[in-house]
Amino acid sequence: MLALLLILIPLITGVAAFFIKNEKSVKTWALVASLATLIVSLWSLMHQDNYHSIFSKEWLPDLGSSFSLGLDGMGRMLTLLTAIAFPVIFIATNKSTYKDSNQFFGLMLLSQAGLMGVFLATDLLLFYFFWELALVPVYFLSSKWGGERRIPVTFKFFIYTFLGSLIMLVGILYVYYINPEKSFSMASLYNYTFGHKAQSILFWMFFLAFAIKMPIFPFHTWQPDTYEQSPTATTMVLSGVMVKMGLFAVVRWLLPLFPEAAHGNDNIVIGLSVVGMIYASCIAMVQDDLKRLVAYSSIAHIGLMCAALFAGNSIGVQGVMVQMFNHGINIIGLWVVVELTERQFGTRKMSELGGIAQKAPALAIMLVIIALANIALPLTNAFVGEFLMFNGLYQFNVWYTVVAGLSIILAAIYTLNMIQKVFYGNTNSITENAVDINWNEKLILAVVVILIFAMGVYPKPMIELTKTSVESLVSAFK
Amino acid sequence: MNVIVLSAVWGVVMMFSGLFIADKSKAKYVAIAGLLVLLVANYFDLHHKFLFASSIGNMLQFESFGMIFVTIALLSTLLYVLLSGAAVEKVGNHAYEYFALLFFVLCGVGIAASYNNLLMLFLGIEIMSIPLYILTGADKRNLKSNEASLKYFLMGSFSTGIMLLGIVLLYGATGTFNLVIPAVSKASENMMVSAGIVLLAIALAFKVSAAPFHFWTPDVYDGAPTVFTSFMATVVKVAGFIAFVRLFENAFGGMTDVWQYTIALIIAATLIAGNITAVFQQSVKRMLAYSSISQAGFMLFAVYSVNAFAKEGILLYAAAYCLATIGIFAVLIKMKDFTFEGFNGLAKQQPLLALLVSIFVLSLAGIPLTAGFLSKYYMVLASIKAGGLLWLIITAMLCAAVSVYYYFRLIQAMYFKEGDANAIDVNPRFKALLVVAAVLIILLGVYPNALLLDWFHIL
Amino acid sequence: MPINYYIFLALALFCIGVAGVLTRRNAIIIFMCIELMLNAVNLLLVAFSKMHYAAAVANAPGTIVGTDAQLFVFFIMVVAAAEVSVGLAIIVMMYRNTHSIDINFLNRLKH
Repeated sequence: MLALLLILIPLITGVAAFFIKNEKSVKTWALVASLATLIVSLWSLMHQDNYHSIFSKEWLPDLGSSFSLGLDGMGRMLTLLTAIAFPVIFIATNKSTYKDSNQFFGLMLLSQAGLMGVFLATDLLLFYFFWELALVPVYFLSSKWGGERRIPVTFKFFIYTFLGSLIMLVGILYVYYINPEKSFSMASLYNYTFGHKAQSILFWMFFLAFAIKMPIFPFHTWQPDTYEQSPTATTMVLSGVMVKMGLFAVVRWLLPLFPEAAHGNDNIVIGLSVVGMIYASCIAMVQDDLKRLVAYSSIAHIGLMCAALFAGNSIGVQGVMVQMFNHGINIIGLWVVVELTERQFGTRKMSELGGIAQKAPALAIMLVIIALANIALPLTNAFVGEFLMFNGLYQFNVWYTVVAGLSIILAAIYTLNMIQKVFYGNTNSITENAVDINWNEKLILAVVVILIFAMGVYPKPMIELTKTSVESLVSAFK
Repeated sequence: MNVIVLSAVWGVVMMFSGLFIADKSKAKYVAIAGLLVLLVANYFDLHHKFLFASSIGNMLQFESFGMIFVTIALLSTLLYVLLSGAAVEKVGNHAYEYFALLFFVLCGVGIAASYNNLLMLFLGIEIMSIPLYILTGADKRNLKSNEASLKYFLMGSFSTGIMLLGIVLLYGATGTFNLVIPAVSKASENMMVSAGIVLLAIALAFKVSAAPFHFWTPDVYDGAPTVFTSFMATVVKVAGFIAFVRLFENAFGGMTDVWQYTIALIIAATLIAGNITAVFQQSVKRMLAYSSISQAGFMLFAVYSVNAFAKEGILLYAAAYCLATIGIFAVLIKMKDFTFEGFNGLAKQQPLLALLVSIFVLSLAGIPLTAGFLSKYYMVLASIKAGGLLWLIITAMLCAAVSVYYYFRLIQAMYFKEGDANAIDVNPRFKALLVVAAVLIILLGVYPNALLLDWFHIL
Repeated sequence: MPINYYIFLALALFCIGVAGVLTRRNAIIIFMCIELMLNAVNLLLVAFSKMHYAAAVANAPGTIVGTDAQLFVFFIMVVAAAEVSVGLAIIVMMYRNTHSIDINFLNRLKH
C-alpha cells in the first residue's frame, strides 16, 4: 500500500496544483505535498513487510502486464532520495518566481510521480510507462521556464531520450515474446534465462536507452546544454534524481535479465564509462559557466558508477548503491549553491564572480563542504561510495582503476579552482554588495551538509538497506 | 445490416428534410438524430438482431470485429458532427446534402466492415468514395477545392479499376467471389491468384494512402474544405483499413508468403515518406495530411500480421486515431491561420484548448498513458507475433521518433512561443466535447480492456 | 475460341487504359481511359464466367456457376454510371472556374 501511496500523493497533488492560481499558496501546497511523500517514504523504511511494500492489480491481461509495484532495498533507497530531493528543491528555490507557477509546481509534482513509478514498478511494461511519463513533465518544465536557447535544447533532449526509449520498447516486446510465460512481471523474467543470441541483441537495445539517460559517453551530448538551459529546480530533478533512473534500470532490469551479455560486453561499457570520465573532467576544467561545470562533473561521477556496476562484484555494486544516494544529495547541494549565487548576482560566469566568501561566509563554508564531498574527501558521504567503487573496479581490472583515479584528481582541480575563483580573491563590482544567505537557505544547506557528514561517518544503515539488493544482483550476475 | 440499411435511408431523409426545413442551421440536428438512430441500430447489429429480415446469401457477415468498428466509426462521426457540424453548414448552400452524403459514406463504411464477398468489397469501397469526391469539391468557387476533387476523383477511379482487375483475376483462377479462396493447383492459376492479390493490395494501398501510392493524399486533404478533410482522414481512412485487414485475413491469410514481404516494404516506404515529408511542412493542415500517411504506416502493421492482436490493435488504433485527429481538426477549423505560427501563444489565450490539443498530439505521437501509445504497441506486438522483421520494427521506431519532431512543433508553438493566436467562437459546449474526447483517449490508454477490447471477446 | 484470347484482349485494353491515364493531359480523355479499364474488366469477367460455366456444365447440367460474374458486370456498370455523373459534374465545375480541362493546370496545391 505504501508503494502505491508514494505514486498517488504526488500524482493527485500535482494535478490539484494546476487549479491553485495563487502563487504563494501553490508553493506551500507543493511543499506540503512533497513533505507528505517524504513521511510516507520514511514510514516505508520502518515497515518492510509485504503488506506495506507490495501492491499488485490486474491491468492489461491480454498483454501479460499487471500494475505491480514493489519496494526492495534499492527501491526504498531511491524513493527516499526522490522524497528528500523534492522538498529540498522546493525550499531552496522558494525565492524564485515563475510565471504560471501553478503549472510549474503541478508539473514538478507529476515528474515526481513518474520518478517514483520508475523506482517502484516490478512489471517491465509498467516500468516503461513511468520511464516515459517522468520525461514529459520535465520536457515541459525545461521548455517553458528555461533559459534563452531552451526550446531547441530541450527538444533535442526529448527526442534523444525518446528515441532511446523506443528502441528499448522494441527490446521489451521481444523480451515478452521470448519469455514462455508471456509475462512482463519481474519474477517471471528473472526466472527465465535468455538465449545467447537474444541476450546480445536485447542487451544493447536496453543499454542504449539507459546510457542516454545516465548519460554515458558518447550519448551525453544533450546533458550539459539541458542542465544549463533548464530552470535550476528542474536541473536539480534531472541531475539529482533522474539520472539515477538510468543506473537503477541497469541494476533492476539490464544486469539480471542479460547477465551473459553484460559479462561479454563489460569491457566495452567500462571502457566507455572511463573514457567519459576523463573526457568530462577535462571539459569541466575549462568551463567558465558554473552550471556547465557541475553538469560535466556529474557525467564523470555517473561514469564511475556505471563502470563499477559492470565490474559486477559485490563491493563495487554496494558502492554504487551508496553513491547513487549520496551523489543525489551532493549534486542537489551544489545546484542550491549555484542557484543562490545566480539569483544574487545574475550571472553564473566564474570569471565575473569573486570574493563572495568575504561577504557571505556562511554560504562559502557550506559550499566548501559540499564541494569537498563532491570530490570524495574522507569523512564525507561520497568517500564511502567512491572507495567501495574503486575497490570493486580494482578487483575487475587495475588499469581502469588507474585511469578512473586520474579523473578524481582532475575533479579536485576543477572543484578547488571553482571555489577559489568564485568565493575567494577580491570582490569586484558585481559581488561587492553581496549579502549572506538567510535562515531558510541556511537551513536547507545545513540539511544537505548534515546528510553529507552523517552518511560519511556512519554509512552502515544505507549499506544495510541495500545489502539484499546487492546480493541478489551479484548472485544473478555470477 | 441495420446500420447499412438505415444509413442509406437516413441519407435520403436528410435530403428531403432539406426540402421541408428552410433553416439550414437545423441540418446538424437532423444528422445527430440520424446518428443516434444508427447507434441504436448498431447495438442490435452487435447482438445479431436484425430489424430487416432479408436473405443476404452469405454476401455479408456481421462478426464482432467489423461491428465494433462500425460502433467506433459512428461514435467518431457523432463527435465530428457535434464538434464541427456548424462548420459543415458553412461550407456552402447545401447543408442538408452534405450531411446526406456523409450518411451515404457511413453506409459504405458499414458494407466495408462486413463484406464477405469481393462484390461487396467493391461496392462498399465505391459507396464510401463517390460521396467523398463530391464533398471534396463542395467549396465550388475555390479552385483548390476543385482541383482536389478532380484529383481525388481521377485517382480514386483509377485505383478502382486496378482493384476490379485484381478481383477478376482471383475469380478467373478460383471461380468464386467469396472470401474463402479455394486452393488452386495449376501454375497459371497460382500466378493469377498472386497477381490478383498484388493488384488488390495496390488498390487498397491507394485508398488508405500508403506509399508509394500516397501522392494524392496531401493535395486532396489540403485542398478539400477542412471539415471534410477531418472526416476523410479519420473515419473513411480507418474504414479502408478495416476492409484491408478483413480481406487479407479472411481471404489471403493462408498465403502470407505471397504478400507479406510486399506489405512490409509498403509499410517501410509509407512510414519513411510520411514522416520525413511531414517534418518540412509549414501548414498544420498539410502536416496532418502527412501525419495521416505515417499513421497509415503503423496501421498497415495490422494487415502485415493478421492475427488476434492485430485485430484488437487496429480497433484500438481506429478509436485513438479518430478521436485525436477529429479533435485537432475541430480546433484547426476554428483557427484563423493554419500555419504553425498561427498556433503561437494559444496556451495564453485558450489554456484549456491548448491542453486538449496537446493531449491529442501526444496521443498521435504515441506517448504512454494515451491510447496512441497502446495502439502502436499493439501493432508492433502483433507484427512480432507474426514473426516480425527486426529491420521493419526498428524503422517504425525511428519514424515514431521523427514524428515527435513535427507533432511537438505544435506544442512548442502553443506553449513556448509568444503570439496572439486566438481561436474564434469557442463555446463551452465545444470545449466540453473536446474534454470528453481527451478523457476517452487517456482512459483508452490506461485501461483499454473494459472500454473496448473486452467487447471483442464478449460479443 | 480459347479463353487466352479473351484474357489477352482484355488485358491489352486495360493496359491501353492505364497508359492513357498516365500519359494524357486532358481530364475527359483520362476519364475515358478509366472507363476503358473498367470495360476491359467487364469483358474479362464475362469471359471467365463463360469459362467456369463451360467447365461446370460438363459435370452438372443446369448449373448456375458463372452467373455471379455476369451480375458483377451489371454492378460495375451501375457504379461506373454513378462515377460518370459525379466525375463529369466535377469536370464541368472545374471548367467553369478555369475555362480549361487540362490537368496541367492542377498545380495550385503543389508547395
